Amino acid sequence: MKSWLLGAACAALVFVSGCGSQSGDSSGNGLTIVVIPKGTTHEFWKSIHAGALKARQELKAAGQSVDIIWKGPLKEDDRDEQIKVVENFIARGVDGMVLAPLDDKALVRPVETSGNADIPVVIIDSGLQTDKYTSFVATDNHLGGRMGGAHLGKLLGGKGNVLLLRYAVGSASTTKREQGFLDEMKENFPGIEVLSSDQYAGATRDLAYTASQNLLSRYGNEVNGIFCPNESVTVSMTKAVRDIGKAGGMVKIIGFDTSVQSLRDLKSGDVAGLVVQNPLKMGCLGVMTLVEHLGGKAVAKRIDTGVALITSENMSEPDMQELLNPPLEKYLGTGN
Amino acid sequence: MSLSTLFNRRINRLGSRDFLKAIRPFVGLFVVLLLFAMDAELRSLFFKGSNFKMILTQTVIVAIGAMGMTLVIVSGGIDLSAGSVVALCSVVTAKLIEQGHGFAVVLLLTVLAGGLVGLANGGIITAFRMMPFIVTLGMMGIARGISKWLANNQTVNPEQPLESVNSLMDNSQSPLTFSPLPDGVWLALGLAVLMAVVLRSTVFGRYVFAIGSNEDTARLCGIRVNFNKVVIYALAGAFFGLAGVMQFSRLTQGDPSVAIGLELQIIAAVVIGGASLSGGAGSIPGSVIGAFMMACLANGSGIKDWPNYMQEIIIGVVIILAVGMDKVEPFIQRLFKRQSSSN
Repeated sequence: MKSWLLGAACAALVFVSGCGSQSGDSSGNGLTIVVIPKGTTHEFWKSIHAGALKARQELKAAGQSVDIIWKGPLKEDDRDEQIKVVENFIARGVDGMVLAPLDDKALVRPVETSGNADIPVVIIDSGLQTDKYTSFVATDNHLGGRMGGAHLGKLLGGKGNVLLLRYAVGSASTTKREQGFLDEMKENFPGIEVLSSDQYAGATRDLAYTASQNLLSRYGNEVNGIFCPNESVTVSMTKAVRDIGKAGGMVKIIGFDTSVQSLRDLKSGDVAGLVVQNPLKMGCLGVMTLVEHLGGKAVAKRIDTGVALITSENMSEPDMQELLNPPLEKYLGTGN
Repeated sequence: MSLSTLFNRRINRLGSRDFLKAIRPFVGLFVVLLLFAMDAELRSLFFKGSNFKMILTQTVIVAIGAMGMTLVIVSGGIDLSAGSVVALCSVVTAKLIEQGHGFAVVLLLTVLAGGLVGLANGGIITAFRMMPFIVTLGMMGIARGISKWLANNQTVNPEQPLESVNSLMDNSQSPLTFSPLPDGVWLALGLAVLMAVVLRSTVFGRYVFAIGSNEDTARLCGIRVNFNKVVIYALAGAFFGLAGVMQFSRLTQGDPSVAIGLELQIIAAVVIGGASLSGGAGSIPGSVIGAFMMACLANGSGIKDWPNYMQEIIIGVVIILAVGMDKVEPFIQRLFKRQSSSN
């Protein structure tokens, strides 16, 4: 049962360095490509940026010069602002766009507009409710959820009670992780009972902390394991578990994504494992795929950028270190 | 010198100052376009029909909001709840479409919802003699809260989209040509003409100026100040409601967290357009040009790939310049006068 999971994890690791696509033919003149993230300040987006610049370096080495423009919305997490950014680049007439849509519906029309203006768009990170894009390059969140579930099941020895605290209503990526976790529990760990899977944490750490406390006051005595579908829930749930004195491995917590605090918790043993994505690879593959498409090659409609499971045992391995601390300076320092 | 010539001169002077003031936003826009035309990259990319269609579409929401805000500011008030009302009304639009209503009903009820919020603003301001700043600041939170409540803290996506509403701001089918302009742009242009006439040439319009110039005098002249103020805020709310419909059309979803800080953009457009925050001055064409100018600046900065912070700084400078001209112009005029009298 776990072989395919392991295989996927290994595949993810193999491609950590070198984003897995080889250089094709080079069509001489330079391309201008704009990369539009959801925001610009988060660590995650810096890694995407670094990945895009890495792609530029690799393409340059292959004889294809590419100009990368990095432009986030003026106000972060503002759909209207991101639409304006897309529109302004349509007006400017770039060769192609790599876009992380803030909303799976609001950005549909701008992407279609872009298509009608003959500017191909590669979607990264989050999905979009249309098929008028060139390719969708992102983490397989369902697989990530299954991976976390498999590890939790293994830690519990196939029996016990687990909790799932969902992230927020309407968030596509975390919903898939939650579904992946539940599917894994249902199919492969019939001895484990899911005590609660219908509670939502909400968008901020503060809300997540309150929701965690409420959930633990109800199930705190029976719970053996908890799955948290994103970074803010992981940190807040760990804190709430510490509050009731069950931290340090009495309750196994599997989290998603990393932050300074969740890594600290992982090291101290309060968190049993973290499922991590590979934003550097996502940024790199996004640009590579677009350039391949612009060069006239057929590209896959869906490209997976892989997930990996980090535990306190393997976190010091070089591969994992590169995932945890991507060499951003190497690219961002020398980039534009 | 006879009394009549003195009087005439006075009228002339007043007239010329008013004229200068009225054309100032147009001059400002002209200067911006001129600066853009001097740049080779912008010349080829900015001055394209397709780009102007895009800018016009981006202007619609702020411009419609600015029409309502102009009424309020000319009457000596302020409405800080504009952005929240736009968000609330975008959610209301989504909810109405979800319930399967047609175009006319959706439009009317949404505008009405905005008008009701405005009515509450005006009612509280006049009934309790409270500062518009405080009341609308409170309403900003209330309307935002209600929109999140209505939307259950998430975006509202009608399962059966209403194409007529969605197409109000839709450019996706012809991104490379100037025509056809989306319906929303025509609607905004038509409303601008209508409101310019209302503010300049109707009794109500003159009352708005009278109240803004001097409320006590207006009251002594027999103007029903309180009644007119309530009407002004309600009308402004209705415009924010219409802007909410446009906001929905732009996102194709009702979003309770949209348009945060939009009220400041709207106020900036009105002020760039020559309105005075102490009341009694301002015009609809000026405000609409102000909104258009800000969209041009943002679009130009985008094309030039200036970083976001540069864009914010530039628009900030433009706002201060626009208002600062009030102080600079009399100085220049005096300079001219001295020259002509020495001749």
